[in-house]
Amino acid sequence: MGTISLKNISKSFGSTQVLNNLNVDINDGEFLTLVGPSGCGKSTLLRIIAGLEQQTSGDVLIDNKNVNRVRASERDLAMVFQSYALYPHLTVRRNLETPLRLRDYNAFERLPLIGNFSPSKKEKTESINQLVNKTSETLKISELLDRKPGQLSGGQRQRVALGRAMVREPVAFLMDEPLSNLDAALRVHMRSELSELHNSLKTTFVYVTHDQAEALTMSSRMAVMIDGNLLQLDTPQEVYDNPSSLSVAQFVGSPKINIFKGTADSGGTVGFLNVNLKRKSSESNTDLHIGIRPEHLEITNESNENTFSGTVAYRENLGSDIFFHVNIEDGSNKIIVRGLPQFTHQISNGSKVNIKRVSDKALLFNEAGMRVQFTNA
Amino acid sequence: MHNSKAHIWFIAPAIILMIIILIFPLFLAGGISFTDYNLGNKTFEWVGLENYDKMFNRKTYVKMIWATATYVIVVVPISVVLGLCAAMLLNSLRFGADIYKTIFFLPVMATLLAMAIAWEFTLHPTLGIVNSFLANGCGGVREFILGFHWLPWVDSQESWYAVACANNMDFPYWLKQKNTAIWTVCFIGIWQAFGFNMVLYLAGLTSIPRELYQAAEMDGAKSTWEQFKLVTWPMLGPTTLFVVTITTIRTFQVFDTIEILTKGGPSKTTYVMMYAIFEKAIQQNLTSIGAAITVVFIGFILVLTFFQRYVIEKRVHY
Repeated sequence: MGTISLKNISKSFGSTQVLNNLNVDINDGEFLTLVGPSGCGKSTLLRIIAGLEQQTSGDVLIDNKNVNRVRASERDLAMVFQSYALYPHLTVRRNLETPLRLRDYNAFERLPLIGNFSPSKKEKTESINQLVNKTSETLKISELLDRKPGQLSGGQRQRVALGRAMVREPVAFLMDEPLSNLDAALRVHMRSELSELHNSLKTTFVYVTHDQAEALTMSSRMAVMIDGNLLQLDTPQEVYDNPSSLSVAQFVGSPKINIFKGTADSGGTVGFLNVNLKRKSSESNTDLHIGIRPEHLEITNESNENTFSGTVAYRENLGSDIFFHVNIEDGSNKIIVRGLPQFTHQISNGSKVNIKRVSDKALLFNEAGMRVQFTNA
Repeated sequence: MHNSKAHIWFIAPAIILMIIILIFPLFLAGGISFTDYNLGNKTFEWVGLENYDKMFNRKTYVKMIWATATYVIVVVPISVVLGLCAAMLLNSLRFGADIYKTIFFLPVMATLLAMAIAWEFTLHPTLGIVNSFLANGCGGVREFILGFHWLPWVDSQESWYAVACANNMDFPYWLKQKNTAIWTVCFIGIWQAFGFNMVLYLAGLTSIPRELYQAAEMDGAKSTWEQFKLVTWPMLGPTTLFVVTITTIRTFQVFDTIEILTKGGPSKTTYVMMYAIFEKAIQQNLTSIGAAITVVFIGFILVLTFFQRYVIEKRVHY
């Protein structure tokens, strides 16, 4: 079992409120990502779960047991730190053994030399060795066991840190931006490895990242946090397609979602620039933000009442896609449009282009940044 | 670069200075130690190892080595351990640490000469504050604590404190008595050295990443002792090496306190090497024997440095 519930968690450092009445239920075996820009309190929340930080108010429940008064070492959680926090003076093997030694050996058996006289120590040592070997095989670090962390590359250290967390078979894994110190290629590779690891271990993962791509690719659910508030907790697809607020829409997705200023008239018809949407807004007579993701805009040769035009300011070629940064004609917006290379390779900086949108993809937000639904009619 | 001789001009001043003020005197001392030369003499004779022979056979010099060894072996471990403990305690304080830091560091900053004179008064057998403090405590709590009456095997009538009280306040003459002088000097040495060690350890402690302690906590290191064993002590390895080396060299060099407080006495029990060099070579103008002691002294320091450099260094840098 490995369920974690957070009930009305608040945390303040002095007068600064960093977490604001958070409620999260993490299911057994789930890969939950806490994602948000730096300083949003996600790491603090993770450390509160771990017990390294005490919440100002609220309850942490692990397997339905209140652990507010249980210290970190007794919560049976394992944590992977951003800096890996390996013990630099110990070999990889000893690093992996450490949590087991601390758990399995009693105080007498941990004593140097005379500890070896304990009759039960030999048996325990064997089981520790087996666990360490098993873990190092899973993570493919068997050949590194005799080295010290200083002799390892970043990726290898990352694996050792994972191994030290895994070896104990904890209730849940807590990971604090574990991939942020790796180079880009390795980071992408480790994403898939972590997902596979999660599938095979079937243990609860709580994963903190500021990288929305990691959250989208790995998690079964993601919790978007901004300024100490939990804005949305849902599957990655749902968060992407159906963001609950403007901030979530802007945070999730790369390149960023395009936001247009527009209005809804008394009949609920939404208009921005020279375009009117077919669907009607549920709120009428109000100013709105219309969000359209770059992939839902297309460069076209047509020019009609559903298109608008602009000048390409910058062309970002990623090979598989080309993103055009376009200045809209009336000067109010700079937007990003995705183009497929086979159709748009001839467009260069400074070209005038017409842009049309893919229908039924626009998202509406009111002035306060909250989501506004379309009426079904 | 390879054809240019410019680099010689850059390093020459440093090398020439080093030869003139460090290496040449060293070899000169080495040379003199094999002669009977005294400062002011016009001639000298080679006497071979005679000076060294004296050093290891005459009682005075055996006592000298004994006093130096006692001082180093007592002062180094105690001042290092005390420095570490003080640093860890201060590190865990939320406020007030600066005051303690200042207090503990004061003996390091103060002129040792002045401090030694202050100690002389403090430890004066009849006028000193130490003995009057002890005398006033006869029969009271002080006697109970300092006389070790709280230990089950100490007889409260027979303890050193009780005996002194009974014999008309016959408390030790700290610096004037054969069996206490070296220990008193050691105590002052520790008092003087541990503040410096504490500051070095404080610097070492701040450089330990906090995440390592958190990792240790997550791994199940519950007690402070476990965390100390797993994180603090190994991570302080380089600091400890430095602290031990520096303290050892400094304790080998102890001179000021001896010169002011005991002059090597009583009966040479505090006759440490540096004081011996001073007494022989400067006061008694026995340059050659002074040179021989100097060579032995440098030998000790060299052995120590090599041991640090080649044996321990490999174990503390990861």
